[in-house]
Formats: sequence, C-alpha cells, structure tokens
Amino acid sequence: MTEEILRVEELKTRFFTDEGQVNAVDGVDLSIDRGDTYGIVGESGSGKSVTARSIIDLIEPPGEITDGEIWYREPDLAAAIGDDYPDAIDGDRIDLLRIPPSVRRSLRGSNFSMIFQDPQSSFNPTITVGEQIAEAVEVQRRASANPRSTRARSEQYTLTSMILGSMFSSRRYVSPESRERAIELLELVGIPDPIERADQYPHEYSGGMLQRAMIAQALAGEPDVLIADEPTTALDVTIQAQILDLLDELQAEMGMTILLITHNLGVVARMCNRVGVMYAGEIVERGTLEDVFDDYVHPYTAGLLGSVPDMEGGGGRLQPISGNVPSLLDHEMGDRCHFADRCPKAMEDCLNHPPEYPASGSDHHAVRCVLAETGYNDGRALPDDYFDGTDRPAGDKHVGPDDRDEDSDDERQHPPAETTGGEHQ
Amino acid sequence: MAFGKFLIRRLLQGVFVIWGVVTITFALRALSPGDPVNLIAGQVPDQSTRDQIRQDLGLDQPMYVQYFDYLGNLLTGNLGYSYNQRRAVNDIIAQHFAATVELAVAATIVAVVIAIPLGVVSATRRDQPADYAATFGSLVGISTPNFWLGIMLILIVAMQVGVFPTSGRGIAFHEAMYNLFRYGYVLDLLSWLSYITLPAITLGTYFTALITRLTRSGMIDELGKPYVTATEAKGLPRTLVRYKHVLRNTLIPIITVLGLQLGTLMGGAVITEEVFNWPGLGQMFITSLRNGDWPVVQGIVLFIAVAFVVINILVDALYARLNPQVTDE
Amino acid sequence: MISDRIKSNLTNELRRSLLAKVGIVLFVSILLMGLFAPVLATHNPHEQGHSDEAGASYPPLGLTDEITIAQDGERVSHTVEGTSEHVLGTNNVGQDIYSRFLYGARTSLLVGLSGTLLATAIGVPVGLTAGYFGGRVDDGLMRIADIMLAFPSLVLALALMGAFGRGTVGIPDPIVAAGFADGMPETITFPGMVTVVVALVTWVWFARVARGEAMAIRNEEYVKAARSLGASHATILRKHVLPNSLTPIIVLATIQVAAIILLESSLSYLGFSGTTLSWGYEIQRGHDVMRNQWWVATVPGIGIVLSVIGVNLLGDWLRDALDPNIEGEGAGGAG
Ligand code: SF4
Repeated sequence: MTEEILRVEELKTRFFTDEGQVNAVDGVDLSIDRGDTYGIVGESGSGKSVTARSIIDLIEPPGEITDGEIWYREPDLAAAIGDDYPDAIDGDRIDLLRIPPSVRRSLRGSNFSMIFQDPQSSFNPTITVGEQIAEAVEVQRRASANPRSTRARSEQYTLTSMILGSMFSSRRYVSPESRERAIELLELVGIPDPIERADQYPHEYSGGMLQRAMIAQALAGEPDVLIADEPTTALDVTIQAQILDLLDELQAEMGMTILLITHNLGVVARMCNRVGVMYAGEIVERGTLEDVFDDYVHPYTAGLLGSVPDMEGGGGRLQPISGNVPSLLDHEMGDRCHFADRCPKAMEDCLNHPPEYPASGSDHHAVRCVLAETGYNDGRALPDDYFDGTDRPAGDKHVGPDDRDEDSDDERQHPPAETTGGEHQ
Repeated sequence: MAFGKFLIRRLLQGVFVIWGVVTITFALRALSPGDPVNLIAGQVPDQSTRDQIRQDLGLDQPMYVQYFDYLGNLLTGNLGYSYNQRRAVNDIIAQHFAATVELAVAATIVAVVIAIPLGVVSATRRDQPADYAATFGSLVGISTPNFWLGIMLILIVAMQVGVFPTSGRGIAFHEAMYNLFRYGYVLDLLSWLSYITLPAITLGTYFTALITRLTRSGMIDELGKPYVTATEAKGLPRTLVRYKHVLRNTLIPIITVLGLQLGTLMGGAVITEEVFNWPGLGQMFITSLRNGDWPVVQGIVLFIAVAFVVINILVDALYARLNPQVTDE
Repeated sequence: MISDRIKSNLTNELRRSLLAKVGIVLFVSILLMGLFAPVLATHNPHEQGHSDEAGASYPPLGLTDEITIAQDGERVSHTVEGTSEHVLGTNNVGQDIYSRFLYGARTSLLVGLSGTLLATAIGVPVGLTAGYFGGRVDDGLMRIADIMLAFPSLVLALALMGAFGRGTVGIPDPIVAAGFADGMPETITFPGMVTVVVALVTWVWFARVARGEAMAIRNEEYVKAARSLGASHATILRKHVLPNSLTPIIVLATIQVAAIILLESSLSYLGFSGTTLSWGYEIQRGHDVMRNQWWVATVPGIGIVLSVIGVNLLGDWLRDALDPNIEGEGAGGAG
C-alpha cells in the first residue's frame, strides 16, 4: 500500500498588486502518494505554477500564502522539530506552513527540488554548469552533515564566510567532493563527456542538454519530491520525449515523487497516474488518470480533452476553449462557478460557487461542478447572453494562453501570467 | 585565439582614437587667438628676436608642416615645450600626474566602497526607508556640481572641524608610504589622508551616486531573472544567491560603464583640483589654458585620452573574462 | 508620435510617482524665475554698492554677521543684520544676491535648453542617417563617437572655449523693452559660444541614440513596404524613422539639459563663460570670500542643485513612463 507523502489543503496564495488582490491559488486540495507522478494541468494563468511554487516556498512579495495547510510526511524531521513546534506536527507529518521560514528553507534542495521550463534562463549565465550543480550537491552535503535539529541555524552562511571563501580556496562554499559528484550527476542524466561539460557555461549547451543538466541539479539533493514546471515546453518535440524518458527512468531508479505542472495533456497521459485539472485558481476535477481522461464530468475537462488531437504524439497541447481567460482579481471573481461564463452547460444552479463533489470512477475522483450532483437541465440553462459581452459557448474572441505572455519575463510582478513562452512550436 | 584578435582590434581602434584626439587638439591650437611669442618673450619689442623665437618653434612653417612635425615628435615620445614654463611638457606631466592619479583612485575607492553596499541595500529592501534614503541621496549626488560641493565641504567640515586642510596636497602618497615603512613614521600618512579626504569626497560623490543608482537598478533587474528563483529552489544560502550570483552579475556590466565614465572622472578632477588647489594635471590644464600655453594643454589632453583608451581596453578584457558569453560571439 | 497611450502612460506615472510631481514643480518654478527675472528682481543685478554704512555686505534676511573692521586706525567688531531690502543678502561688491539668483536661472536655462536643442539638431540627423544607411557612413560616425568619448566633456569644452574665445550675443530683453521692469538690464547677455561648445560636446550622445533607433526601425516591415512603394530615403527618414525614434531622443534630451546646466556652471566657475550673471560665476566669486561671506557661494549652488534635480526627476518620469531603451546614463554630469 502506498503512503501519502504530500497533502495540500485549502491552499490560498494571493498577490497584492496595484490593480488589486489576485487570487492566483484559491483553495486548492491535493494529495500525492510517494513514488507517484501527479500532474496539474491547466491553461496559463490558471494558478498551476503558483501552486507548485507555493509548495516549495518560492512565493515572493507581492505574493503571499494566506491560508491553507501543506502536510509533508517526513518522520525524521517531525521527530527532530516536534518539541519546538508541536502545532506543526501531526504524527510523522509536518505542516510546512506552520514551521519557521528558516526550517522551510532548509527543505529546499534536499527534500523538495524543482526544474523549470526554460533551462537557458534558469542557469546563471556567468557560472559554469558544473559549479552550479556542485552548489546544489553542497547544499545537500552540508545538510546531511548536520543533525536535523541544528540545520536551520547552521544553514546560515554569512557574508564573512563568503568573503573568506573568495580569498582562500579551502574556505570556498563548494568542496571538491561536490564538484566530483556534479560530474557523476551529469553522467547520470546522459550528458556525454561530463568532465569537459562541467566546465562549460550554460550558453555552450543545447536546450535539451541544459534541461538534462537542470535535472541533474535537481537530483543533487536526492529530493523526496521533484517539482517539474513545464519541463519540456521550451524544447523540440524529439528532445521532449527524451527528457520525459529520462524523468521516467530516474523516477524508477530513485523512487522520487514527481509533481508535474503542464498545459500539455499528452505529457500528462504519458507520465502521470494522478491528475488535477486547474481553472481560475482552483482544481476543478481531480482523480486517477482514468477518472479524468475517461470518466470526466467537468465541462472544462471535456473541453480540454475534446481538443486534443493525438494524445501520444507529443503535439497534444491544450487548446483554448472559447471565451475569456478568467480574471483572478478578487473583486471581479464573484460568487459563482468561475467557468460559468465559458461553460456550455451553465445553469442557474451554477451561480452559486459549487463545492467539490465525489464522482464516479475511483475513490479519488472529485469534481467542482454541479453536474456531478444533478443532471443537466435545459430548462434551467442560463440564456446565451447572460454574461454580457461574452459569447458563450462558441464565440470567436477567445483569448488563448498565448495572449497572456507579454510579461513572461517578470512573473513576479504579474503573477497570474505564467510563463508559457515555449508554446509556439 | 579569439581573445588575441579582439585585443588587436581594440588596440588599432585605440590608436585611431588617439590620433583623432591629437588632431582635434592641434586644430584647436591652430584656431586659437593669441601669439605664443608674446608668452615666451614677454613684450620684447625687438622684431628680430621675435622672428628668431618663431623660427625656433617652427611657427613660421605652414600649418601642415607643423602638424606632421608634431606627430613626428609624439611618435618619439616628445610632447613639446611649454611656452612660458621653460620646461618640456613631458616633465610637467611627469611632475603632476601622480597627484591626479592619487585623487582619482581615492575618489573611486570612496565611491565603490560606499555605493555598492548602498545599492544592494536599496535593491534588496525596495520601497523601505533605507531605499528611499539611498535613492534620494543619490539623486542629490548626481545633481550637485562638485565645485560647489567642495566649497560647502570646506565651509561645513574643514572650517568647523579644523582637521582637514583646504588647499594643497601636503605629502605625496609614495613618500608617506616610504616614511612609514622605512622609519615607521605614521604621521605623514595621516597628513596625506587629511589632505586628500575632502577632495576625494568631492570628486567621489558623483560616482557614488551614479554607482548606487546603477547597482540598485541592475540588481533589481537581476533579482527578477528566472535563474535567481532556480538558485533559490536548490536551497543555496541566501548570502550566496545574493552575492555570488546576483551581485556579481550586476557588477559585470557596471564595470564597463565605469570605464566609459573615466572621462567624467577626469573632468571632475580638473574642477576639484581647482577648488582645493591640488597640484595635479587638472589644475595645470586650467592654468595653461588660461595662459594660452597650448603645448601643455595638448599634452595633458593627450595624456588623458591615452589613459582613457588603455583603461577601457583593460576593462573590456576584464569584462570578457567575467562574462563568458562575450568571447564566443 | 504623441499617441493616447503615451499620454495615459505619462499621466499614470505622474499620478503614481511623487518624485515626478516634485520634478515638475521644481522645473516650472525655475523656469518662471528665469522667464520673469526682470519683474521678480528687486534690484538691477549689476548695481553695486548695496552694503551697510560700514561697507559690509548684508547676510540673508534673519541672519547676522559679525565682522571686524578698521575704524579710526583701530580694529573694532561690527555686526551686520540681514535686511528685507536684500532677502538673500548682498555679495562682496554689494550686488543683490536674490536678483542675481533670478538672472542666473535665466542663463542656466537659456544655455541648458538652447544647447540641448542645438546638440539635438546636430546629433539626430547624423545618427539617423548613419543608422539608416549603415555601412561606411555608420562606421565613420562610430569612430568619431569613439574619439569624442575619449575626451572628458569638461576638458573638451574648456579647450574649445580656450580656442574659440568667450563670444556672447546681446538680445534686447522683451520684458524691459515693453516697460514692465524699469531699471533692469536692457539686454540679455546670451553666452553664445558656451552654447555652441556644450552642443559640440554633447551631440554625439544624440547621434548614438538616434543611430540605434534608426538601425532597429530600418528593418521593420512598414519601412520596407514604404520603400517598395517608391518613397525616397529622405521621406522615409522624415516620416517613419524620425517619429518612431522620438521617445528615446526626448528622454535623452531631458537628461542632457541637466548635464548641460552642470557643464555651463562648471565653465562659468572656471571663468570661461562670458556673462557674469551665472550661478557658476557667482560661486567662483563666493569661493574667494567664503571665509567671510559664506552665503555668496551657497545661494547660487542651491539654485544649481534644485534645477538639476528638477530636470533629472523630469527625465526619470519620462523614462519610466515611456520606457525607451537608452544604454547607460547618457553623458552624465560634468560637474
Ligand atoms: S458548475 Fe455549472 S457552469 Fe460550472 S462547470 Fe459545472 S455546469 Fe458549467
């Protein structure tokens, strides 16, 4: 029997911007078992990337996790800090949102790590790839050299230590052992001539090679959970398949849990055994792969699947469904089903925000849609022009994910616009 | 290989630039009013003496001959003779340049030591009081003419505290150091410090403000880049993320800007030396210009231009070393 | 050119930014002072002898100054009090500092604005042509730019002043001519040579920015289309390239006004100006007497700092609102 490694409950992440409060993640529930691959699928701006970043604690101002619980099963840590933070501990699980930031920080790299969409911009251009991977190894090396309880404090690496390190090679942060391990990791992810490659700079790598290097970097800390945020989006189709194969192999070898963020249903079908479909900051349908792909209930899921031409062919990217991408601004969201203005089956019942209902299929199948509870009733359907200005359902002024890309470089300032720069294939 | 080619190209460009500077200053001398003979001989009425001087200086030759003579002399390292100081321009420059270099280096050190931490604090505590203070301070800094700042420092600091001399240089740095190491004599160094403090602050303020602004905006840009998130995600201590990664990448382009601003630094030195009566090239430049002593003016401008070219080649080489993407392109 | 979008960006940024408002207020105040100097001035700025019965200069209103004077062969202490007749005091030759301050604003703005205009007029056509045609023309320009950069701008400006002299142009003051300000100087001494010199020193920055813009624009589809429709190069430069490169040029021009004000004051401080009604000149005079009359040098310096801050803030506002890509920090200040 598999055990649950991560459980997210009612997670809410807000961004407080000049335009108002953005509810990027608005009450997300997730449950991930050890060794599984969980896919979160959705359009740009659905909050899937922010969900992932909330879990690994990469939300920065103006963003803030305002509510929710993230339960992480790690008996050692629970035992080590149980006395200090009894509130945060439940058996061998820890609520990551109730432990101090320094402890949370210490989990990065060694417990959670992340790979990003665009390898070229995710490496520092002026430092060699080998050195950057070695840094990640060093984080783990130093962490395992210290007992859990003192880790948060010993993690402090002061400016003085750094200045000393720049003067005396023996006091450098990165040790020669870590450098060697970095080369092994490069070899592990299938990079030829890893010794020479380690001394090269990111711009000397091809996109696919660099994505392998990033995976090597993410594996350096032997993490429990690997978060992959659109890991193949920026790559050529053939390279995409290779990277996915690599992730598969490494998962089988190391028993990691993977949280895969993607807009690509083909990738989901190939990699995941559990799926959550995100829309407007919520998971609108979740369950096993079969639940979501075969027994779907939510009209949004149906829309997504209906527009996938060839699931296996890598090209299965998510087609936008007609209508506007939902606003995540708090004052514009209203108290209805957020999908109602694009939903072909919207009824009067949908004007109340639907809770999650269990649905047919496995025990895990849950849907945030009234259709899971009541059948579609033509008589109660909303008139076509109910949401004025928006043609429903088959309008032509749909806004696809691409249209929100303008600010993909500074996601911090414009959190809802997720980086999807690689979709133009 | 690529680096050697790059260096040769930059050197050739540099030679061209220096030729251009020489030509422009020569043209200015040719255009300038006033007869150098008056400077040399005073108001000697004796026409034959005047003609003799004119002939000795080659001023009776056509302009183009004078120009090529001047170029020829430059190639042998001879900058010519001062009209009214009865000395070779080479000697005058040799005597004064150390004072200017001391001042410029001191100002640069003041600027870098203050500005980079200020810029970092400003960028990492954005929109907090420290940031506002640094932003406001640097705005005032780039808007204050340094001759006025110098006078204000004399009025407010020197005349109230009394520790800092307001004029002159006291002792040369190398002499002070010699006395320190040879005889263990500390007072000379302190004296040197007391003389250079106010001029260095005066000259350094504009650069402090400029570097603070550049560091702040550069670091804010840099902090927004995806690699910073990725580096955070792998659990690297924040100090390393900030300094080894972000600050380093912020400073690389700033080095180039500073190389190009060397001209502003020398311009500032001219004025600062005038305010504090600092016996450097800048003061000599002004004095010579007022007197119409063009050979000295030309020599100093040429000297500054050569320094500018050489330092910028060094800066480019350093930049290429720090930024691996450059050499490959 | 000035589209609605630009207008709304400008107003949004203005609403958001306190500093932009401060900049506008500062700049407009200095502008008004300069424009209406003859009306606002209380004394003819050249008129000497405004000192008390012992011949001492007045300190600014509300302050007193303690000096020693010789009286009947003895040294006695004498106290001078500021007077409302001379709010900012008088200088060592007994001229009214407040009136000279206003006229100094006039000189700074005249040189700053006309110098910038002239530099734009030289640099922009050169840069646009070089960037648009590329090739040899462009190489030539870039080499000239390299040479100009190797000169410190103040040093070059001084050398030019040394060679060209300190020519000025007398312009009749319209306000005095119209009879609104009796007893004020009848001509404005416009330091023409200084203006020409600062333009010669700074034009290359405009050329560089214009070149960069032209290079980017010449490959745009609409320019190619216009070309294929038979438009001449001159027309394309005028109708397409120039309007589209206006934003960065305007931002640069703003920054340059500040740089030129500083440059002008430095030149006047060093005695290379042509007019005595200049803040820099006044500071030079104040420097000589700073041990006794500190206010003579202090007051005009505040004028320079405030106007340069004002212009710099305007520049920041335009830059943040219009977001052009200007490399570096322009020519920077000279002072
Ligand atoms: S709740 Fe209503 S509007 Fe929302 S998805 Fe279901 S049917 Fe459509």
